[in-house]
Amino acid sequence: MIQFDARPVFVAAVFAVAVGGFSTAALAFEPTNSECIAPANAGGGWDFTCRQVGKALYDLEIVPNPVQVTNMAGGGGGVAYAAVVNKRNDDNDLIVAASSATSTRLAQGAFPGNTMDQVRWLGTVGADYGVIAVAGDSDINSLTDLMDKIKSDPSSVSVAGGSAVGGWDHLKVLIAANAAGIDDVRTIKYVAFEGGGEAVTQLMGGHVQAFSGDISEAKGFVDSGDIKVLAVLAPDRLPGEFDKFPTAREQGIDAVGANWRGFYAPGGMSDDAYAFWAGAIADVYASDEWKAIMADNGLMPLDLSGDAFQAFVAEQVAKTEALSKEIGLIK
Amino acid sequence: MDALSSLLDGFAVALTVQNIGLALLGCFLGTIIGALPGLGPSNGVAILIPLAFTLGLPATPALILLTSVYYGAMYGGRISSILLNIPGDEPALMTTLDGYPMAKKGQAGEALALSGIASFVGAFFATIGLVFLAPQLVKVALLFGPAEYFALFTLAFATLGGVASRNQAKAAIAAALGLGIAMIGVDHQTGVPRFTFGEVHLYDGIDFLVAIVGLFALSEVFLFLEHKGQGKAGAADMKIGRVTAPWSMIKGSIGTMLRGTGLGFVAGVLPGAGASLGSFIAYTFEKRLSDKDKTFGKGDPRGVAAPEAGNNAAAGGALIPMLALGVPGSGTTAVLLAMLLTLNITPGPLLFQSNPDVVWGLIAALFIANVMLLLLNIPMVSLFVRVLLVPPRYLMPTVAMISFVGIYGISGSTFDLMVMVGFGVLGYVLRKLDVPLVPVILGVLLGNEMEKNLRRALTISDGDWSILLGSPLAIGLWVFAIVGFLAPLIIGRYFRPKIADEAKGEGADPD
Amino acid sequence: MSDRVLGVVCILLAALFIWQATQIETGFIVDPLGPGAFPIIIGVVLALGGLYAIVRPDAAPDWPPPGRLLEIAFAVAVMLAYALFLPEFGFVLSTAVAASLLGWRLGSRPLAAALAGIVIAVGIYVIFHLVLGLSLARGPWGF
Repeated sequence: MIQFDARPVFVAAVFAVAVGGFSTAALAFEPTNSECIAPANAGGGWDFTCRQVGKALYDLEIVPNPVQVTNMAGGGGGVAYAAVVNKRNDDNDLIVAASSATSTRLAQGAFPGNTMDQVRWLGTVGADYGVIAVAGDSDINSLTDLMDKIKSDPSSVSVAGGSAVGGWDHLKVLIAANAAGIDDVRTIKYVAFEGGGEAVTQLMGGHVQAFSGDISEAKGFVDSGDIKVLAVLAPDRLPGEFDKFPTAREQGIDAVGANWRGFYAPGGMSDDAYAFWAGAIADVYASDEWKAIMADNGLMPLDLSGDAFQAFVAEQVAKTEALSKEIGLIK
Repeated sequence: MDALSSLLDGFAVALTVQNIGLALLGCFLGTIIGALPGLGPSNGVAILIPLAFTLGLPATPALILLTSVYYGAMYGGRISSILLNIPGDEPALMTTLDGYPMAKKGQAGEALALSGIASFVGAFFATIGLVFLAPQLVKVALLFGPAEYFALFTLAFATLGGVASRNQAKAAIAAALGLGIAMIGVDHQTGVPRFTFGEVHLYDGIDFLVAIVGLFALSEVFLFLEHKGQGKAGAADMKIGRVTAPWSMIKGSIGTMLRGTGLGFVAGVLPGAGASLGSFIAYTFEKRLSDKDKTFGKGDPRGVAAPEAGNNAAAGGALIPMLALGVPGSGTTAVLLAMLLTLNITPGPLLFQSNPDVVWGLIAALFIANVMLLLLNIPMVSLFVRVLLVPPRYLMPTVAMISFVGIYGISGSTFDLMVMVGFGVLGYVLRKLDVPLVPVILGVLLGNEMEKNLRRALTISDGDWSILLGSPLAIGLWVFAIVGFLAPLIIGRYFRPKIADEAKGEGADPD
Repeated sequence: MSDRVLGVVCILLAALFIWQATQIETGFIVDPLGPGAFPIIIGVVLALGGLYAIVRPDAAPDWPPPGRLLEIAFAVAVMLAYALFLPEFGFVLSTAVAASLLGWRLGSRPLAAALAGIVIAVGIYVIFHLVLGLSLARGPWGF
């Protein structure tokens, strides 16, 4: 039974679950059988966040046992959110993967009956900055060119992105258009695809004229010359090989869009446990292992934890809500 | 012959004792995962990613393990289709149509052996296509914009009539039911919920695996309950028969396999079409072309060979957009893509230059896994058919419980289980009424893509419907769709008396 | 007759579906086709199919006698109860009970059914949880 020998961790985890069911929380919190909920099926971005951070937590010996990853798909994260609020509210050994998609949906009221105050926000492990790109052979060479073209004839430009209408890739275009002085952003044609890769393919095939996505999605196609990045929506030029991309700010369009990745915890988590997990996420972020993972996956620095992160999410939610109201996505 | 020498380098990478051992393990686990209802190639690969991590495997061996699981699951899906009339996963759907009737006739072993060979042919030539045609096929994938995709999906539904039912209206009802079910959930274009009745569990829509397992596996349990003790239904009365395919049967299916391979491969290359469409098109095309004696759907070996060659070829084809564009052509390649990213490899146009060892090692591993699967599957046929010897009073509860576990283990949702039981009841009623189940699944699988692409096309054109005929490719697909839809109606009118007689003779069969 | 009932059900379902499609609330940003149009097309196809089934029905199938329908209803109830109790009582116990009940109704003797239920539950647990590492329902005892 090769399979058995290959999986001692699972056997160990099961055994530990069996013995450790009744551990009471001492004064300072100590994790026993930690769990990370990925609010989507295996293979997605949240699943990736859970598995990578879970692995790092164990490798760095921050937690004594491997972190069990539970997939809880549904409602774009809404099912997991509701389950944590309603059923796991005082669980001290649980973290849940989240990203800008989570705060965007919270802001738009897409998790019915749930608000951001019902959970405790732990911290981030990095961010993806948005980019706006066109095909490699396009005659558009700057973000200003693109925006001028949209201004003069909105129907001449279709923008493709990997999220739904009102989702993050769409909002980035609208943020940029808003900053470029386009008043009625509803005239912009946005076409939603399944993920950034599909949207880039449509751009290369000439079926759409522009692309809105994350830097990690665009990188390979930029290197091969298939597409060119008009602007990255970061406050300053990005480090390393990404510094060749101009920011939108440089071109006089004051637009910033970061897709953060991080975690939240149940709202009833004890202060000790909250302090432990916020610290643990920060420790993972600071480790060399994580730096390598970030570099490989095009994740950019965004280091927020504890109260700072709580405030950051609140601000994101408020901003997204205002923007969504302004463009008529929500009432 | 650049590709050839690179491939040889790839074999040098892949042919180590450890890698061959991993490929064997992957093939074995994959076959089992494919055969279990509810677990298919995509969640099979997802489940085994932690195994690759636990073993601490570097990139190439990890990929070899997982692609072996992928190909293994594509092979394995046919086993429960043929033996139990339950598709082990969605690409094996079409294999039930002739595979199960063959098993009923006591030809289960022959069907398993022939479909194993067809799977090999499909996967083998698709992998060769991957080696030599990848750059050209990427260009084909780029030709498909929203309008072309919509025409392609319409083509699939237009050729549906008569595939799985004698009554075209019931096929239409089934397809509409499936499409309607697909509409449930948050609308991807505007983000508003549709047909969810405020139920948050429905926001992501209904997973097609829940529908497949409910409609096929649970309704099978209900049908058996109805007929128990009457010696009418169930696997118990089946004879095992021979466990190899006679040469004459293989010879008669060679053309079928090659056509299925070609069609499946192209369908696999198109992101968003995938293996299910590959096996479907392979089956309907073959039926149109070769079904002169109306034997398809009654246990024609070619009806087993075509979809199996088609879906395995599609599995190979789907790797092309995944590797060369970073765009997954199917659920499984989406998981493989995530795996590659985790291993610090970014698929995309430069992958072949930047990581040749990974790419060619992977392709070599596909050849090795494929040969291994053929060798593993032919002798194992005699093992698989023993499932038929298990008395249904033990087999059926096992099937039901495995179905529940497969769904629950992936989603962790009791709501999904409830919905699945609902599908079981629906499947039972539909089968009693002779409404075919295949179009329901096809509707659930393709409905969202079909609608999305229609709406994307109309967004791009500002509501001008003429964009649907905007390219020669789109026009060509529409012509095929119209011919495919009208031809059986015209021929049917011409030959109607004969078909009606035949239908009368078969009318008592409830399935 | 059965087909006529099917036809009527299809038409009612189509009507409900189309009505629901017109009720979808959208924001200000809507693509030219909107979220309701495609469902309406589907509803029309469903209604036409139902109409055809009413006009030209096939011969009715042999419906099982009431006793057998009760058997099926019992199996449905067992499955629904299983789904409900799975998170409460954990995987192994729930599965053993449900599989035993199903096996019993499918013709096993009670003792054999109970034994088979336990074997099925433990077997699935070993393969899916211990070998494949799927997270099954934990329940109060951890399995």
